[in-house]
Amino acid sequence: MASAVLEETRPRDPHPRATPRPPREGHPAVTWGLRLLVVAYLFFLVVWPTSLVAKNTFANGFDGIQGALDDPDVVHALTLSGQVAVAAVLINLVFGVGMALLLVRFDFPGKRVLNALIDVPLSVSPVVVGLALVLVYSGRYGWFGPWLEGQGLQVVFAKPGIIMATAFVALPLVIREVVPVLEDMGDDQEQAARSLGANAWQTFWRITVPGIKWAVVYGVVLCLARSLGEFGAVKVVAGNVGGESTTAPMLVQQKYQNFQQETAYSVSFMLAFAAVLCLIVVALLRPKEPKK
Amino acid sequence: MLWFSLLVLIPLAAVVVKSAEGGWGTFADAVTNRQTFAALRLTVLTSVGVTALNMVMGTIIAWVLVRDRFPGKAILDLVIDIPFALPTIVAGLVLLALYGPTSPIGVHAANTRLAVFLAIAFVTLPFIVRTVQPVLEEMERDVEEAAASLGASRFTTFRRIILPTLAPAIFAGAALSFARGISEYGSLVLLSGNLPYRTEVTSVRMLTYLEGGDTASAAAVATILLVVALLAIVTLDVIQRRVARRG
Amino acid sequence: MSIEVRNVTKRFGDFVALEDVTVSLPTGQLTALLGPSGGGKSTLLRIIAGLDTADEGTIDIEGTEATNLPARKRNVGFVFQHYAVFKHMTVAKNVAFGLEIRKRPKDEIEHRVDELLRLVHLQQFAHRLPSQLSGGQRQRMALARALAVEPKVLLLDEPFGALDAKVRRELREWLRRLHDEVHVTTVFVTHDQEEALEVSDEIVVINEGRVEQIGSPDDLYDHPANDFVMGFLGEVTTVNGQKVRPHDVDISTTPILAGAAQGTISRVLRVGFQVRVNVLTDGGEDVTVELTKSHANALGLGEGTTVWVTPTPGSIPRMVEKAG
Repeated sequence: MASAVLEETRPRDPHPRATPRPPREGHPAVTWGLRLLVVAYLFFLVVWPTSLVAKNTFANGFDGIQGALDDPDVVHALTLSGQVAVAAVLINLVFGVGMALLLVRFDFPGKRVLNALIDVPLSVSPVVVGLALVLVYSGRYGWFGPWLEGQGLQVVFAKPGIIMATAFVALPLVIREVVPVLEDMGDDQEQAARSLGANAWQTFWRITVPGIKWAVVYGVVLCLARSLGEFGAVKVVAGNVGGESTTAPMLVQQKYQNFQQETAYSVSFMLAFAAVLCLIVVALLRPKEPKK
Repeated sequence: MLWFSLLVLIPLAAVVVKSAEGGWGTFADAVTNRQTFAALRLTVLTSVGVTALNMVMGTIIAWVLVRDRFPGKAILDLVIDIPFALPTIVAGLVLLALYGPTSPIGVHAANTRLAVFLAIAFVTLPFIVRTVQPVLEEMERDVEEAAASLGASRFTTFRRIILPTLAPAIFAGAALSFARGISEYGSLVLLSGNLPYRTEVTSVRMLTYLEGGDTASAAAVATILLVVALLAIVTLDVIQRRVARRG
Repeated sequence: MSIEVRNVTKRFGDFVALEDVTVSLPTGQLTALLGPSGGGKSTLLRIIAGLDTADEGTIDIEGTEATNLPARKRNVGFVFQHYAVFKHMTVAKNVAFGLEIRKRPKDEIEHRVDELLRLVHLQQFAHRLPSQLSGGQRQRMALARALAVEPKVLLLDEPFGALDAKVRRELREWLRRLHDEVHVTTVFVTHDQEEALEVSDEIVVINEGRVEQIGSPDDLYDHPANDFVMGFLGEVTTVNGQKVRPHDVDISTTPILAGAAQGTISRVLRVGFQVRVNVLTDGGEDVTVELTKSHANALGLGEGTTVWVTPTPGSIPRMVEKAG
């Protein structure tokens, strides 16, 4: 039975990659020109302005941040934003993964249309998103709003509305991360699991979830960054009811227009810091993805 | 599916229904309103301008990120995503810090059309870079080398070989960038000053309608934006399918 | 009979993948489903496994009506062409998967996994990830994984199709020996006639959704039921209106062969120890002849030589070319 030819002790790379070639030498002037152009463009458009916010925030040391955190409005707005973001992320996690599975693994009429519609929240004006939700869920004249209000659930001008608006805007992020990974994975492994006796639930948890784990993590982090900062849609849905439903980005606007610029910069800095932190987390996680 | 309907489909349908409810009258009034028209024109024209700029700069940035090597490139790669992750209101504040009244370089662009342009350029920066980058990474160096071995200069290789390969990705990114541009709101609130006829964009105009309780007019304008955004998505889809067929 | 397939039909839209297929696959045997790509053999295998469902017809596995059973309840082992390894699990975990699903006690699982890895010669790789294995090693792991659950039948879908020629040949011989050892009813799909002839006890030839012939390898090679089977199992050439294998053609430089056709050699090609000769006969046939190098040298064959060719007396198969 033992056959010598099968005793390959040295694992071979099944997909030998071409050795990475150094970039082809271009004309140095062109290379440097492009490099400089790109760096300058990004510096003036993104880096410098962003760093100025940090500078303005810390113009007086930590006083700015301290002062902002002493303001109960700020604390309330940050808490609200945090809660909303977490809720929206959880909703998008469940439905995002569900819809990604639906789009990749099942065939049904209207799939192409649904696929195209997934991107709508990314390209629709946040104001339109807010308006749309108001029209349906408003307690006064919405389609479902009055009935929901009758059930004791106020959506618009309250937390559920803010969460819905945020979930709407961030919905594609999880789906768009998970779909390509699912497609790439194929359903071979899932079929193999089924032929070995696993039921749908076991297949999902033991095979599918480990396969899309990292994609889900990126999706969630991006979703979190986006959810914390959503402004337009939330503003429309939250209305101007004052402190109760003011999220952090709305507070920035209010404080800035009330000439409390230091507070505005401080809150902005915290939001920006959270966003950049999310990006760094994603950037650090990416290389850990198992290479194919 | 039900959730998607409740969250996305039904509300969007409501917008269209609402705008149709008032009959063509409201629709026509809202659209022919001089202030609204000015806002629409500013929004669309600026978005076109920014998209054109992005098509050039986005491609160059993607090129440098993929093909060039220098210290700090990883940070540059991270910087690209900042406009996407930053809350829009913060984006506005960020630009105000450099190009506003307290500008350390003395550029005072706040409340001008340049500010609108800047804000849209800021928020749409990642789109083309991020669609072109993967295509460029997958592109086989062999093809370029083959072109070079056949006597093509670097410029000819770029124009005849590389650009056609990248074109679908550039256009796809452009559609996204344009759709995002016409719908931008948050970053403009603080930066543009929202001066009617001069720097007021469509989203701000809609909000004005809304705050005045005129949901019908707001819905009408929203429908126009939706149509434009949908057109952009359809174009994107058509291009993607054409690419798939070719490949 | 272990697997009974009765009147199975499967359509994908307008395309008929299987048309009224009835096959019995005997217990304990190694059966090959052989045919060209797109002929429906993989579809048949997947229907047996329950990964696809038939539009019409029934499937029995070991006396159990299985037509409507989901894949996970059929107790079959399935090996995929592209291995379908669970990328995030170690080799041992992959093999243990089916047993864990069945909630077997831990020490039993451990023992069984160890035994199977020994069987497929992967015991030293137990804690590696599949990405660290070669293609052949992955496929052996997939085989161990399928065998772990003690399936009633083992189904292999082009199991060696993604491997290079040398590894293929090794694994093929190894599969035959493995089967002699474990004796589980095995069905494998292949488009490689050499593989089917060498490994299997029985071959089912499938083409365009229909069964063309069922029989032992010798049976099929010597007594093909039709032109398709004859052509698919080996090369065919036509001499004097008779279809024969090129190595069943006698060739001589003098007209001593009775009823031989006269012709001129148009091409001589050496392939290793063999020589392939193309003869253009006066009757207008292009006859291919295979003979050993020494035989060709003894006859002094070269391009332009006048020769006489005829089917070797008593050679089988031999078919009369259809008119038209």
